[in-house]
Amino acid sequence: MKAERIVVAMSGGVDSSTAAALLQEAGHDVVGVTLKLTDATGTAASLGGRCCGPRDIEDARATAALLGFPHYVLDETAAFKRAVIDDFVAEHAAGRTPNPCVRCNEKLKFGPLLRFARAVGARRLATGHYARLVKKDPRSLPWLLRAQDLDKDQSYFLFGVPAPLLEDVVFPLGERTKDEVRALARHHRLPNASKPDSQQICFVPDGDHKAFVEAHGGAGRPGQVIDEQGASVGTHEGTHRFTVGQRRGVPLDDGRRRFVLRIEAATGQVVVGPRDALQIRNLRVSDVRWTSGSVPRIWPLRCAVQLRHRALASPAWVTAPDDSGCGVDLDSPAHGVAPGQAAVFYDGDRVLGGGWIAP
Amino acid sequence: MIYLDHNATTPVRPEVAEAIGRATLEYPGNPSSVHAWGRRARDAVEQARAQVAELLGAMPEEVVFTSGGTEGDNLAIRGLCLGASVRLGKRNHLVTSPLEHPAVAGALEAITQGQPGRWTLTTLPVGPNGALELVDLASALRDETALVTLALANHEIGTVYPVARFAELARARGALIHTDAVQAAGKIPLDLSALGVDAATISAHKIGGPKGVGAVFVRRGVDLQPLVAGGHQERERRPGTENVAGIVGFGVACSLAHRRLRDTNQHFERLRQELVVMLGRVPGARVLGAGESRAERLPNTVTVLFPGAPGQLVAIGLDLDGICVSTGAACTSGSLRPSPVLRALGLDPTQASEGVRISLGWTTTSEDIDALGQVLPEIVARVRAATTTTATATATATTTMEGPAW
Repeated sequence: MKAERIVVAMSGGVDSSTAAALLQEAGHDVVGVTLKLTDATGTAASLGGRCCGPRDIEDARATAALLGFPHYVLDETAAFKRAVIDDFVAEHAAGRTPNPCVRCNEKLKFGPLLRFARAVGARRLATGHYARLVKKDPRSLPWLLRAQDLDKDQSYFLFGVPAPLLEDVVFPLGERTKDEVRALARHHRLPNASKPDSQQICFVPDGDHKAFVEAHGGAGRPGQVIDEQGASVGTHEGTHRFTVGQRRGVPLDDGRRRFVLRIEAATGQVVVGPRDALQIRNLRVSDVRWTSGSVPRIWPLRCAVQLRHRALASPAWVTAPDDSGCGVDLDSPAHGVAPGQAAVFYDGDRVLGGGWIAP
Repeated sequence: MIYLDHNATTPVRPEVAEAIGRATLEYPGNPSSVHAWGRRARDAVEQARAQVAELLGAMPEEVVFTSGGTEGDNLAIRGLCLGASVRLGKRNHLVTSPLEHPAVAGALEAITQGQPGRWTLTTLPVGPNGALELVDLASALRDETALVTLALANHEIGTVYPVARFAELARARGALIHTDAVQAAGKIPLDLSALGVDAATISAHKIGGPKGVGAVFVRRGVDLQPLVAGGHQERERRPGTENVAGIVGFGVACSLAHRRLRDTNQHFERLRQELVVMLGRVPGARVLGAGESRAERLPNTVTVLFPGAPGQLVAIGLDLDGICVSTGAACTSGSLRPSPVLRALGLDPTQASEGVRISLGWTTTSEDIDALGQVLPEIVARVRAATTTTATATATATTTMEGPAW
C-alpha cells in the first residue's frame, strides 16, 4: 500500500483502535476521529455507556496519543438525537422493535465521517467494522461482504449505508478474527486491549429499553393481552414493554409458555400464543435499498435473508419491489420475526440490500 | 509548529520560566510563616504583587492572587455579590452581555441559581459588530442594580469596550462594576484606577506567565467576600497557601508586558495588517468585529468567517499542516459547538460555526502569517468542496436507491 492520509473512525473500543494501529503500521498518515453521539451530562452516558460516551472518547484519545497520531472529536449529538434516538423511541411507541445501530450507520455515521475525511484531505475512511469491501472492477461500486470471522460479522448493520459512500471506505478488520484483533491490541499495548465488547445500545447502557422509552415520551398505551382467538388473558402496562417473540411478562396458558406474536399499538392489544405460532414463512420488507448499487433485474430474487443480528440467513425468494416494499417467502419458517428489525438480503457472503420488516 | 492561538494561551516567556525555576528552589518557605524562610517567600509574593499592580495601574493592596481567569471571574462576581448582599441591602439586579466568557456567564448562573428568586439578570443587546451601546446600559440600570459585569475586550472577536463610560453609568446608579480584563491585559494599556471599575480579572498565562495563576483587582474599600473558607491569606479574600513560584513568574510576566507594551502593540498592529491583507485573498473571507480603528479592538485578535466552510474543519485542516488556530473558546471535551459570541452578533448557527479565530502573540512573526497564507486558501477550498459534495453524494445515493436501476 502507498502511504496516504486516512481517517479512522474511533469509537473508543478495541476494534477501531486496532484498525488504526494496523493502518499506521502499514505506513499511512492516520487521523483519528470520534463522533460524540451522547451528551456528557446525560445520565445514560455518564453511567458508563460502552460506546461514544465521554469515557470512550477518552479511550480513543489515549489510543491516538499512544500511537502518536492526531485525534479529533466531532459533536454529532444533535443529529444523533434526531436520526437515531427519536426514531428508536417512535418505533417502540409504534409497537415495533427498532435496530438503532443500523439506523446510525445508515443515516448518521458515514456522511459526516466521509465529509470530515475529504475536508482534511484524506481520500478514504476506515472503521473497525467486521465486514469486507471488494471491488470487482474499478468502475463499479464495491461489494459489501460478510467478515471472514462469521462470528463477528457486522455486515447486517451496514446494509443501509448508501453504496456510493462505501466506495471510499475501508474495513481493516474484515479479514481478522476477534482473537487476532485482541492479540494485536495487546501487541500494540493499546489501553483498551481488554475492554469488553459493547453489548448494549450505546445510549441505553443499562439495557433497560423500557425505562428509556418511557423517559423519552414513547410509552405505548396499556391494554389487553389476548390470545389468538381474541380472548383476553390479562392486561399490560404499555405496548412498548413487548417485542415479538418475548416470553417475559406474558401469562402462562395452563402452565404452558406463551410468546408475544403481535403488537397492536393503535388498540393497545398484545397478541400471545404458543411458540409454534411464532413461525413465519412470509413477510413484507419496506423501505428497501440496494447496497449493491443497482436493483436486481431478475425477479423473484433468489437469495438468503437474515432477520436478526447473529441469526442464520434463510434461503428465500424475494418478490419485485412495489410501493410498499418487497415480499419475502422463506424456504423454511423463521421464529420471532420482529417488525422494525432489519431484513438483509445476501447472495452468499455478499450483501445485496435490505429493508425493514413490516408489521 | 506555527502557533496562532495566543488568546487561548501564549507561551511562557523565557525570563518568566527562569524566574519560576529559581523561585521554586529559592523560596521553600510558606509566606504565612513568621521565620526567615517564610519572610523571604512573603517578600517574593509582595514584590510580584507590586509588579502586577504596576501593569494594572493599581495599588498593590488592590491585587488578590487567584488560580487564574475562571477563579478570578467567580471570585470577583460572586464575592462582590456576597459582599453587596450585606452592604447594598436590597439591591438584587445584575447586568451582563451575551458576549462574556463562560467563566463570567457561569458565575452569574451560580449566583442566580444558588439563591432562586433573590436575583434578576439583564443581558444587554448586541449590535451586529459586537458593539454594546451606552444607551442600552443606561436603560438597563435600575436603582436595585447591584453589579454590572462586562469584559474590557472580547475573547473571540477582540472588540474593546468603553468600560470607563460603563463604569461612570454604573457608579452613578450606585452599582458595582466588574470587568474581565483577561484578554486586554498586556495587549492594550490598562489603568484600572482611571477606568473606574470596582473589580477586574486578569490571568498570567495570557501574557507570557504560567498557567494556574491570576489576579483579581479589587478597588480599595470595596467589600469582596471569599468563596472558600479556612485561611487568612490575601487579606482574607482568597484563603490558601500562595503559589509562590507561579506568582513570582506572574510578576515577571507583568513587568515584561508593561515594559514592552508599546512595542507589542506596534508589533501586533503590523502583523494584523498583514493578516487582514492575506485573508482578503481567500475568496469570501469576512473579518468580524467593529471598525478598523485601533481604539476599538485588540490588535492581536481576528475572527474570520469562511462561508460554506465549517470553522472546525478549517482549524483541523490547518492543525494537520502544523498551524494552530481556534474556532473560539477552547473546550475540554475537544468538541466545539457554534460560538455563543458569534450567535450573539446575530449570525445564524451555520454562520456561527464558520468562524475561525486567529490570535497573535509575542512569538508571532511575518513568516508565520506567510505560512498561514500559503495553505489557507487551499484548505478552505477543500473544506468547502467536501461540505457540498458529500451532501450531494448522499442525496443522490438516497434518491437513486429508490428508483430504477442505474
